[in-house]
Amino acid sequence: MSAAERSVTLEVRENAWLATFQDLGREQSEALGVPCGGAADQHSASVANILVGNPRAATSVEMMGGRFAFDTSQPVLIAVTGTPADVTVNGNEVPMWEPVCIPANARVVIGNARHGMRNYLAFGGTLVTERFMGSASPEARMGFPQQISAGQRLELLTRYTGFEHPFLTQPLFRLPVPIPSFEQPVWTVDIVEGPETDAAPGIRELLASREYTVTAKSNHVGLRLDGPVVHPEGLGEIVSHGVPIGAFEIPHGDELIILGRYRTLTAGYPIVAFATKASLPMLGQARPGQRMAFRWVANDAAVESHHEAQRLLHALEERVQSLFGALDLPHGAIPVPAPAAA
Amino acid sequence: MSTQPAPGQPRQPLDVKAVPFGDSALMVSVAADDDEARQAGSRRLREILLEVQPHGLLDVVAGVDSLLVEFDCLAISHDQLAQTVRLAAAGSGAGTAGHAHGSEHFVIPMVVNEAFAPDLADVATELGISPEAVLGHLEASVLSINLLASAMAPMMGRVQFPGQVSRCREPRTNVDAGSVMVAGTNAIIQPFPGPTGWKVIGRTPLTICDIRENPPTSYKPGDTVQFSVVPESEWEKLQGQFLRAARGQSAAAPASSATATEREN
Repeated sequence: MSAAERSVTLEVRENAWLATFQDLGREQSEALGVPCGGAADQHSASVANILVGNPRAATSVEMMGGRFAFDTSQPVLIAVTGTPADVTVNGNEVPMWEPVCIPANARVVIGNARHGMRNYLAFGGTLVTERFMGSASPEARMGFPQQISAGQRLELLTRYTGFEHPFLTQPLFRLPVPIPSFEQPVWTVDIVEGPETDAAPGIRELLASREYTVTAKSNHVGLRLDGPVVHPEGLGEIVSHGVPIGAFEIPHGDELIILGRYRTLTAGYPIVAFATKASLPMLGQARPGQRMAFRWVANDAAVESHHEAQRLLHALEERVQSLFGALDLPHGAIPVPAPAAA
Repeated sequence: MSTQPAPGQPRQPLDVKAVPFGDSALMVSVAADDDEARQAGSRRLREILLEVQPHGLLDVVAGVDSLLVEFDCLAISHDQLAQTVRLAAAGSGAGTAGHAHGSEHFVIPMVVNEAFAPDLADVATELGISPEAVLGHLEASVLSINLLASAMAPMMGRVQFPGQVSRCREPRTNVDAGSVMVAGTNAIIQPFPGPTGWKVIGRTPLTICDIRENPPTSYKPGDTVQFSVVPESEWEKLQGQFLRAARGQSAAAPASSATATEREN
């Protein structure tokens, strides 16, 4: 069944509050002043692609709020990941975090997202879109919005031609999918210390013991949180320097900012902590009103958590590859040992 | 009495400071007594890192006098990367400054009027000179692009002002693309509309960054820039042209600037 690649047209019927082309972001663009961008929840975006046999960094659709719907006249293989939502195919509910075989002439609807902020929709094959600095990820400020609207036709290049199992009408995929839990009222985020932690006496204890709430002023540049802060003392003017994703800044006002993937690359605010690499995907899902607690960890533990998350993704990749091989489904992933983006 | 090293004598090796910035980044800077030396050191380090590409390196963000080095924490640790940076710095000509080969020169026309230069009078007052003298100092300065800031904005030094220019007390929420801005003794051009706290003293009709071009800017760190104030009547002719280097055929550069270009080369 490894047919030649063909072009399939997907007709977008509803576009959620915001839907864009998305991938894991730009590489080596920050040296040129362009933030890496990329999926806010890199874990969910990676898993969606892995589940349809794509490389992790393939282009998918990132959506927020409302309903997203599309029609396809040809069979396609999809996976929907991210925050819990309702996914239907021709009105029938289908699971998230699994490969789903969509028959010809179907309408797929994703809506009623809850708890978190974003969903990812991946298609087996290649979504055709423009790229800027090698990535499909939006860079709206520089004139690369990548927004998807109702009425738009998306082109998918795929070798998938449909899937029928002779014994089971419903194919059984038992895959070891690492599904994050978005349901808890308070999310716990691991943090390591920052350069100005000691200059803000009491901030360690506050961050470890109090709850913080994401406010509506948050965006893709950073999350803004309400909660008790301490302003660092005796620092003088901080010269503008590069800031990593996940930096906890304390601006002049009484709030906490956690920088996101579209941060301004340099800033002069004191940094009292950094979210660990492994906790960034959850931060990318936080919506206004979400309560958060923070837990200080040592650097070794932070690296170990990231290692474990990557190990699970790699294990899933291998299982999907052998499953797709056994079922003669097209698989486009080449094993990538190194993580694809920052 | 102090002794100065003779010109041309090799400088001291770079004294590299490296501080962890989260589990996947390192803040790297050069220990030095004065701002100039720190800034030059960090520019040099940046060149070295981009050339050496240490194992596990993902990206580098240049600050005013530091570098944020982002890395894959599963490939390399803070300590290992810091050591690689120090070894690379030690093995690369003992900290000799100077521009990489192939640096280019740009002459950037700018128009100055009330709408385009809302802060010119303020800057003149702060420096205690006339607005004409402010522009004169800017035009006379051969600026070097130190780094590409947000959205590929060229951050340049050093403008030969007689003093430091402060930032706006209240940052502007939206400044038009092409705005030529100064702060301290640095200059920058706004590539896309957006907020800034820098003082706006003119505007270039040229497009300095266009994502349809490859690469999106013709300039890079290490290149040199001179501004040239042109009459407002030039605006229409130049508007929207993509900025290219002065050498070769540069339709955008007014003829009067050619001498400056030649002097540079």
